[in-house]
Amino acid sequence: MKTAGLFIIITIFLTAFTPASIGAGAHASAKNILDRIDDLYRGKSSHAKMSMKVVTSHYTREMIMEEWTRGKDFSLVRILSPRKDRGTATLKAGKDIWNYLPKIKRVIKIPSSMMSRSWMGSHFTNDDLVKESRMADDYNYSITFEGKRNGKDIIELTLDPKPDAAVVWGKVVIVVDKKDMLPVFARYLDEDMKLARTMYFSNVKILGKRKIPSTMKVVPADKPNEYTEFSVLNIDFDVNLDRNFFSIRNLKK
Amino acid sequence: MLTLRIAWRNLWRNNRRTAITFAALSLNTAVLIASFALMLGMLDDLVRNATDLVVGQVQVHHPKYRSERSIYDTVIKPGDILQAAASAGIAASPRAYGFGLVSHGKNSAGARFCGVFPEKEKKTVELYKHLLAGNYLPDKPGKKLVLGRKLAKTLEVKVGDEIIVVVQAADGSMGNDIYHVAGILKSMGEGIDRTLAMVHYKDMEDLFALNGTFHEIVLNSSGKMPEDKVAAAILPSAKGNEVMTWRQLMPPLNDMLNAMNGMLILFGAIFFLAAGLGVMNTMLMSTFERIREFGLLKAIGATPWRIIKEVSAEALLLGVASTLAGGAIGTFLAWYFQYHPIDLTGFAPDGISAMGVAMNPEWRATLSPETVWMPIVVMWIISLLAVLWPAVRAARLDPVKALVQV
Repeated sequence: MKTAGLFIIITIFLTAFTPASIGAGAHASAKNILDRIDDLYRGKSSHAKMSMKVVTSHYTREMIMEEWTRGKDFSLVRILSPRKDRGTATLKAGKDIWNYLPKIKRVIKIPSSMMSRSWMGSHFTNDDLVKESRMADDYNYSITFEGKRNGKDIIELTLDPKPDAAVVWGKVVIVVDKKDMLPVFARYLDEDMKLARTMYFSNVKILGKRKIPSTMKVVPADKPNEYTEFSVLNIDFDVNLDRNFFSIRNLKK
Repeated sequence: MLTLRIAWRNLWRNNRRTAITFAALSLNTAVLIASFALMLGMLDDLVRNATDLVVGQVQVHHPKYRSERSIYDTVIKPGDILQAAASAGIAASPRAYGFGLVSHGKNSAGARFCGVFPEKEKKTVELYKHLLAGNYLPDKPGKKLVLGRKLAKTLEVKVGDEIIVVVQAADGSMGNDIYHVAGILKSMGEGIDRTLAMVHYKDMEDLFALNGTFHEIVLNSSGKMPEDKVAAAILPSAKGNEVMTWRQLMPPLNDMLNAMNGMLILFGAIFFLAAGLGVMNTMLMSTFERIREFGLLKAIGATPWRIIKEVSAEALLLGVASTLAGGAIGTFLAWYFQYHPIDLTGFAPDGISAMGVAMNPEWRATLSPETVWMPIVVMWIISLLAVLWPAVRAARLDPVKALVQV
């Protein structure tokens, strides 16, 4: 979550914030909130269909994609539309990412030199996909605000990386709606304590029998007019997905 | 006229002395001309390599392009610039750049793609001549690549191999395709060796969704005009763009060339000095030898002025004759080295490159008017000085003393 890994974010925001998992109580401690986010998301699997809209000053791009995840280590995304990109797929297994390119029928492993490049033209990099950490372990955290802000009952959590933690952010601030314990937004600050990106959660819906914010929008701080927005169209949790599903062979299908 | 006739006779009176002086003067003139031309050739070569290889004399970019390297910072109205260049007789090559991934088998690497129109590029710069293997890009698009040497090594590819390219296109999509290696470049400096992947612009346009845009226009008059003239010629058409000469584009190289220039001038001066001293020595000896003769002349009534006049006439005659001969030999040598360069490949079989500039392993002379007239004039001055000093001394000498001088 702190690294805003795309799959992690998606997975978190698909699986973590459910009324059932976090008792919507005022007494939930910071550790409880963070641990439950991490714990709930681990070991789960999902199958979802979602849309991604990327708006930059140079282009706007909308894609529909299908995603399968298993735990934090495995995920597979396949693009359904637009036609030009249909069949393009990304497999993440641990720290590695492969792309399948249907036009040339080839699988490519992303080399380390390309990890900092954009994923599918979005505001996420390949690195965002693989770098992950455990919030309660890698960060020192505290509740920095609890109460009404803009007429909304919220809890604000501030996370500072532990000195030896291998995380990219200098600080993370997460604001959770106290009513349903769903995140409202999260701010990611870089090592110089400058805002790098903000993630907004909205459009809470019941999908896959869970109440989740179905839309997530990432705005890079240096380009406030640009964003990447994910919307969940439909989703199933705890689907039966074998480890072998996340294979290069399956990537090519 | 009488003076000249007497001088002429005098020269023939001592054949041996005249021949030695003549040989010294003409040989030194010839050597000076040839080495001067070779030094100029080396300097010219350095500048030409700096400009003719990749960079050109002048480049045009979007003002933000060089700092941001963004695919969206494209040259404004490239058509106007190309037209202005064409009407000024300057070769111009538009280029597009983009980053992407190239991979072959299990190997992959990041690459900087450079899209060019091969026929224009070949008229502008000479990179196409520096291939280690294979051929340059064909004039028609065909998904071919010319790779930097180290990039090809990283990928373990040879000419004809398939390369998968995946790039971030300008419309946000993931451009991908299969290319084939057409050629591999010689060592051209780190930047090119490690990352350059040249492709046909039309292929690049598809791959990167460029829509007819360029990131750079390279201009090169190939020695017809200096870089600032080239820049001036296209400046009115390049409004809103950044126009820079190679000296501004590559300041360290410019500094290096300036230092080299200074060094060569210093060497040149030493050469002139050495040759001049050699000639002076010969002339001095042959004139001092004749001090007794001058004393005698004075004793029988010659005025000091007459002695100086005669000796100067002799020196002038000898100087003109020998520098003409030496000039002819030297000009021939310089001309010869201009068309038959000295081959240095034995010293550096892989080619010499420094700071992204490949040095030509062929050392070529540059024959220009100043390489001929400067050594000749210098020789005249030296020979005149060399005779005047002893002649003046002899002229002012007491005849009796001159007669008994050894």
